[in-house]
Amino acid sequence: MSDTNQSVYADATKAVGEAILELQHVDKFFGTFQALRDINLNVGRQEVVVVIGPSGSGKSTMIRCINRLEEHDGGRIIVDGIELSEDVKNIQEVRRETGMVFQQFNLFPHLTVLDNVTLAPRQVRRMPKSEAEALGMQLLEQVRIPEQAKKYPGQLSGGQQQRVAIARSLAMKPKVMLFDEPTSALDPEMIGEVLDTMKDLARGGMTMIVVTHEMGFAREVADRVVFMADGQIVEVGTPEHFFTSPREDRTKLFLSQIL
Amino acid sequence: MTNAALTGRPARLWVRKNLFRTPLDAVLTVVFGSLSLYVLARLALFVFVNARWEIIERNLKLLLVGRWPADQLDVLVTSVVVLSLWGGVIAGIVAGRQIRKGTSVIAGMTPTQRLSDLGRRFGLVLGTSLLLLLLTNSSGPWLMAGLMLVGGVAGTWSGRRIGVRFLSPIVARAGILIMAAVPIATYAYMVSAVPLAQWEGFIFNLSAAAAGIILSFPLGVVLALGRRSKLKLLKMVSVVYIEFVRGSPLYVLLLLANVSLEFFVPASIAPSKVIRAMVTFTIFTAAYLAEIVRGGLQSVPRGQEEAAKALGLTPAKQMRLIVLPQALRNVIPAQIGQFISLFKDTTLAGLALGIFDLLAGAGVITQQDDFRGQGLIIEALVFVGFLFWVGSFTMSRESQRLERRLGVGTR
Amino acid sequence: MTPPIPKSRTPFYRNVRFISWSFQLVVFAVVAAFVYWLFGNYQRNTASSGIPTNFTFLGSPASFDIPGADFEPTESVRNAYVIGVLNTLRVSIVGIILATILGILIGIGRLSKNWLVRKLSTIYVEVLRNLPLLVIITFTFLGVVLQVLPRIEDSWTPLGIMVVSNRGIGVPWYSGTSGLSLIVVFFVGVIGWWLLARWRHLVADRTGQPARAFWFGGVFFLAALVVGWIVLGGRIILPMVDGKRIAGGIRVDPSYFAVLIALVIYTASHIAEIVRGSIQAVPVGQGEAASALALSGFQRMWNVVLPQAMRIAIPPLGNQYLNLIKNSSLGAGFAYFELTQVTQVTVGNGSPAVPAFTLALTFYVVLSLITSAFVNVANRRFKLVER
Repeated sequence: MSDTNQSVYADATKAVGEAILELQHVDKFFGTFQALRDINLNVGRQEVVVVIGPSGSGKSTMIRCINRLEEHDGGRIIVDGIELSEDVKNIQEVRRETGMVFQQFNLFPHLTVLDNVTLAPRQVRRMPKSEAEALGMQLLEQVRIPEQAKKYPGQLSGGQQQRVAIARSLAMKPKVMLFDEPTSALDPEMIGEVLDTMKDLARGGMTMIVVTHEMGFAREVADRVVFMADGQIVEVGTPEHFFTSPREDRTKLFLSQIL
Repeated sequence: MTNAALTGRPARLWVRKNLFRTPLDAVLTVVFGSLSLYVLARLALFVFVNARWEIIERNLKLLLVGRWPADQLDVLVTSVVVLSLWGGVIAGIVAGRQIRKGTSVIAGMTPTQRLSDLGRRFGLVLGTSLLLLLLTNSSGPWLMAGLMLVGGVAGTWSGRRIGVRFLSPIVARAGILIMAAVPIATYAYMVSAVPLAQWEGFIFNLSAAAAGIILSFPLGVVLALGRRSKLKLLKMVSVVYIEFVRGSPLYVLLLLANVSLEFFVPASIAPSKVIRAMVTFTIFTAAYLAEIVRGGLQSVPRGQEEAAKALGLTPAKQMRLIVLPQALRNVIPAQIGQFISLFKDTTLAGLALGIFDLLAGAGVITQQDDFRGQGLIIEALVFVGFLFWVGSFTMSRESQRLERRLGVGTR
Repeated sequence: MTPPIPKSRTPFYRNVRFISWSFQLVVFAVVAAFVYWLFGNYQRNTASSGIPTNFTFLGSPASFDIPGADFEPTESVRNAYVIGVLNTLRVSIVGIILATILGILIGIGRLSKNWLVRKLSTIYVEVLRNLPLLVIITFTFLGVVLQVLPRIEDSWTPLGIMVVSNRGIGVPWYSGTSGLSLIVVFFVGVIGWWLLARWRHLVADRTGQPARAFWFGGVFFLAALVVGWIVLGGRIILPMVDGKRIAGGIRVDPSYFAVLIALVIYTASHIAEIVRGSIQAVPVGQGEAASALALSGFQRMWNVVLPQAMRIAIPPLGNQYLNLIKNSSLGAGFAYFELTQVTQVTVGNGSPAVPAFTLALTFYVVLSLITSAFVNVANRRFKLVER
């Protein structure tokens, strides 16, 4: 490992305040292909971390490892003091603590919007129906679509669906929210409404890890920006540092291509 | 090779993840593991020790070709060799086209890979043929198999070298006509030597399935077009035919053909049992093919027909040049599926019409003086079932392969 | 000003409407002529050999026996048909239920994380699916029932409550109550099940606790059956060997047994493929979203994957059920007196073939039309709402 990489680790492991999420030397293989190489990242409470990088750089794989949608092959992942291991109980506990928003929304098409939101609280938290529905309505108001509660996902626009998906994740009262390219599948005119919802969430103090190509969002909301390439974390820094004086050549090249 | 091996993990971890993941998993593994070991042991004991395969050995010829006259066996050999040459040429042409178009999977393989690919695909058929040859005690079948192999390889070799697109249109059309005429001529040659009524054993099952699928094809396409037609009367006729046949059990139709086909044709025609079976198979399969072709027609995007219309093609040409070729290509796997299904269903003719087919033969040989009352029906059924299974399994594998390829091609 | 376009008269042979109508009239005429020719031949041939073409044969005595049924040879052919239809339904309904259960288990087995279970399920499907059904029935009938099962003299009596022999299989059964009170008990059980399930769901909604409606209702249903039977003074009759026959209990006919088993194991292999395909057709993201919400494996299957897989599986499943009903006609080859066998025997006894078989075919076709209607309704109900 080169010196520059060493200094990157020092940056990456330093979280703002107390760490709620720790990734230590995480490796991930798909067959013989190594998707993640020695990833080290700490995220503090209420911190917003934006992950950027070219496609295929392992951004999505990394956040999918955090809630065990992908199984990491080496290193440790610790969420709020619980380590992800073979233990099913730990996995379920971590999943209860983390919410995830997908690129393709993945709303359940056979359930109404409200049922989508209340499914997990009722099934996992064993919440009474009336209580779950009150919570669901409150969250739908928070994402500004209470009037769609009785409709089915197929009847909603992409932006509305993604906001429902955010409400669905919030219903589990997660401590960390993971966003996997939440605006990439949306028509341009709908991106704004979803980003606004996410900004509200960040202002409310939610811990967030966001994989995105929306540089404006990163600049405005992120506490730290993480740049990944070829399965490695190349550079970590504040948005100002990142967008004004990036250190690594890979970062400069990437930024010059997209900005 | 497993993932565990690739990432260099110990095999023990593989066992734990794949066999003993949870307590329930462990129980399942132990229960099914011991059960399958027991069944395997019993099966091996039966196949290699207890079974009296001499009933098959002694009746092999009867099961495969029935009572095909001994003095006409050369006709059979000639026809089969011609057909394998023919099949080889077609396979060769297809392979050659794929190589020229750069879509060939085989072309990029080393000779050993090619051999193992062929082994995976056709090893079962070749192995079964070898087994049958080993069961015979005469040299004739070996000669036939040798000639078939030579014919097939020679056909493939020459087929690959025919560049269809470099031929002049007239020569190419003549070639297509000849290729279409070969199986018909062979069939006619065989029928002229031995009347259809005497086609028995596995020959009946194979030939009836092939004839049924070929004869029902034009009818099926017409019915599919009829069902899609805007012309109400045509549509009605097609729908009634298709729904009636698809709602009827094949076995009942065969029984009906057995006792009443003679009522519906002039008394001067007295159809033989084999003819009755083939007529029924054709009527029956056409309805299913119609539904398959209809699915294919629906899979062709509307824009194709509209583009053809916009180019000023007549309705017949829109269908013949644009829509049908795409539709038929998309449904080749489903058509193979229908052929497999008919191949298996030919056994019903044995029971319904009293035709001496392969399965009926299995029953008959257990009644022979040497074998009666010795409970040898299991040996007979295992052999018969195995032959049908090898055929269907290989064809369904090939059709899945084709499906994957077609899927790749369209994207 | 442009001059008005002269009004040209299209010659009738170039008129689109005329072409399409004349074309279909020609086709229709050809088809009609062919059918007329067939029908004419039929009338001529039957008249010349004096075979009736009407359905009066239904009233004449059947003059054959139906094993395992309460049927006298002096009864009419019509009654024999009724028994045939009932036997077809009996083997089909039981077969559909068992094949569905087995097929779902094997289909899920094919997607199991357990390597052995996955391989065994695959082998089952690939072997059974590629064998002719007739080979399987011949095997279960000639190979298993008539050969492996013992003769009645030395029948097996596992635990002393069953009799297994090649003359049939005896199973313990209710006795001592009339049919009507049995039906009443059954309906009390069903209604109780339903009410209990409703109540459990209400409780679950209020407290958030799992409903377990299936267990509560199922236990109540079974309890209702047992209590009702005791109250009505019923007893269990154990089957016993009585000379050359089985007495007491319910006797499962050997041919019924062989046909049922063959239909079930064959159809289950096809249903397993449908189940597997439908589960795999549910987008991966659906399962991932459920996992990300911390739903357990069972909750994910039950609440998210299966409801969506069901929607995909319904049409092909309906097709398989239909196939099973039609395939039950093969029972005719193995002395099982379902509709086809009754038809075949009565034709053999001199009933006119064409009317007799027409009757049987009509039944199958009507049954298949009803089934497709059901499938269509189910399809509409499960259709996803889109904009």
